[in-house]
Amino acid sequence: MTSGNNSLPTEVQKLIIAFSTLPGIGPKTAQRLSYFVLSQNKEETLKLSEALIEVKENLGFCKTCCFITSDKNSENCPYCYEKDSAQICIVENVIDAITIEMSGIHKGSFHVLHGAISPMNGIGPEKLKIEELMKRLNRGETKEIILATNPTLEGEATGMYLNRIISENYNNIKLTRLARGLASGTDLEYSDFNTLSNAFQNRTSIDEIS
Amino acid sequence: MPFKTEHLLMKSASNHIKGIITRCTNYKEADRIFTLISDNGIMKFIARGAKKPSSKLSGHIEPLNYVTLYYRPSKSLNSVSQVESINSFLEIKKEYNLILRAQYMMELSESLSSENEDSSYILSLLISTLSNIHNSKIPDLDILIFEFELLKYQGFGIRLFDCTNCNKKLERSDHYFSSKAGGFYCEDCFEFKEIHHESIKVTIEQQLLLRTISRKKYKDLINLNLVEKEINNCRKLIQKSVQDIIGVQLKTVKFSDL
Repeated sequence: MTSGNNSLPTEVQKLIIAFSTLPGIGPKTAQRLSYFVLSQNKEETLKLSEALIEVKENLGFCKTCCFITSDKNSENCPYCYEKDSAQICIVENVIDAITIEMSGIHKGSFHVLHGAISPMNGIGPEKLKIEELMKRLNRGETKEIILATNPTLEGEATGMYLNRIISENYNNIKLTRLARGLASGTDLEYSDFNTLSNAFQNRTSIDEIS
Repeated sequence: MPFKTEHLLMKSASNHIKGIITRCTNYKEADRIFTLISDNGIMKFIARGAKKPSSKLSGHIEPLNYVTLYYRPSKSLNSVSQVESINSFLEIKKEYNLILRAQYMMELSESLSSENEDSSYILSLLISTLSNIHNSKIPDLDILIFEFELLKYQGFGIRLFDCTNCNKKLERSDHYFSSKAGGFYCEDCFEFKEIHHESIKVTIEQQLLLRTISRKKYKDLINLNLVEKEINNCRKLIQKSVQDIIGVQLKTVKFSDL
């Protein structure tokens, strides 16, 4: 907080501090947003505040798949009932599950880890929703697990860890992961070694493409 | 008079640097902020649009990538215009245990480096260790050598041959190590000084291992028959020293001790 903010009314100062806690919002942007809220009419501001309260009061995470649910107390969310639990797609974050769901490619269920293993940030496997995943696998309904962690160093490390513990404990479950390689619209010239290496390793027969 | 594009390339080439990316954070919609350990110490950059799949920067801006960066200097964060990968350490990225160990080495290098300070030795040490570790019979030996050399270079080398208090030559027996004193105490000094609570008993085998590391070159060390348990015990001593030097325990320590 700059010293100039001290002359502002306490309510505005509180709002600036609250906006500053959001990711990617610095003190200057927080100030701009606060002044925008001040200039907005009351109805619009109330809509925003109501939406924020509703999200925190009505929503939680499913105890089974760890996806967003409006029924916090139930063991399974509507997604768990609707989707085929024989095939579970493991993702790092809720937004990843939404992206895959919107594409309509995956018909099975999801499991959200709420992060990835990141030793540099002090995040180990115990901080992820892996215990919930193990409980789910213990039911014996799962036939395939699709690892859809991000192709970053943290995502790869998480995938390797899950591969190790799942293959050690559940040898009847098929483990797959999303293909790695060149993305559509990219130039070979600018590709990194890791992407190229994956693209070569996972190359497919021309017959499979056509 | 060169063509306009050549002129631009020449201009951009003046602001380029080589280094290993140690950590990345997503910023705004598609940007990434990352830290690089370079010859000029720790540097921070912003790669605009790097999260987009079509970005020329995506893939290159990843931790554990040795890269050449072309950038535009700025008052706040230097903005990256082009990246070329030199080594992505793909063999390390295929093994979970090696990834954890590499992250530990990167955090240790970061913690013992600072901004605008010559870190060329630290960078070359990190690159050589990362290049060798996947072929090593005992990866922890490579890390121990790395830790030992890094501390020595930064002026925190362990006194292995004489007592840190009276300078008397140490006899061939078990001794007590104090990370705060940066070495061992002889029998007399240990009895005289009240340091029992902060010192660790180190066997003669562990002392000999550390002495061997201080005397021999890497290519000779990897051919020796060394006991893994002794290596891990020596690593604990070094980690205690690092913790005392930087004042906090590194976040990656608990993950690299497998």
